[in-house]
Amino acid sequence: MFDIGIGEEGSIFIAGRLDAAQTEKAQAFLDSVEGSATVDFSRLDYISSAGLGVLLRTQKRLMAAGGGLRLVNVSPHINNIFRYSGFDHIFEVQAAGS
Amino acid sequence: MENTFKRSFDSLEELFTFTESFLETESVDTADRHDIHFAVEELFTNMVKYNADGQVDIRLTLERDGDRLLVTLKDADSRPFDVTKSPPVDIYRPIEEREPGGLGLHLTKKVVDSIEYRHSDGCTTIKFSKDLR
Repeated sequence: MFDIGIGEEGSIFIAGRLDAAQTEKAQAFLDSVEGSATVDFSRLDYISSAGLGVLLRTQKRLMAAGGGLRLVNVSPHINNIFRYSGFDHIFEVQAAGS
Repeated sequence: MENTFKRSFDSLEELFTFTESFLETESVDTADRHDIHFAVEELFTNMVKYNADGQVDIRLTLERDGDRLLVTLKDADSRPFDVTKSPPVDIYRPIEEREPGGLGLHLTKKVVDSIEYRHSDGCTTIKFSKDLR
């Protein structure tokens, strides 16, 4: 079950599986974000390349306006996908437990 | 263990549940499970995107072969599209020069241990292996 929204501490959360069937919902939410924002990945189990596309599209828009996404509590396997994609160079990424 | 899935992104949840059930039965490590789910989704969605007008369902076969897992996806109504020859991706380009898309096959090759492609008489067969921890 995929979900995205604003958590109790005011940061964005993404939960469940962000696969190719969920990109429309994720993009619609992230299109409403302005400036700089923190995204909590602690409840995200899985991300595919379609999900990476949503993050990249959002980061390009926000960085062009001087902002950006900070991704926190990223699990080891999602962190590997970020490294293989070069996303660790274009996002501020904080691994889970660090 | 094998099953067929409709040629649609809406099949992804069913595809995941089927694959997870097999991986659970085989007591596959969490990190390996993630890699296998990733490769299965990328290769399946690739078949959906590039052969959207195919008339048959896509077949997924999962097998254990000692310390590795063998996964086969078969599309019997498809045009040739060699997934092993995807263009290289420069992951160090600055964000201004990057666009969404094009990462799926690059990443699939990173998370599996071997991948083979065959196309014959309109049938695409993609087989990958994953060495298990």
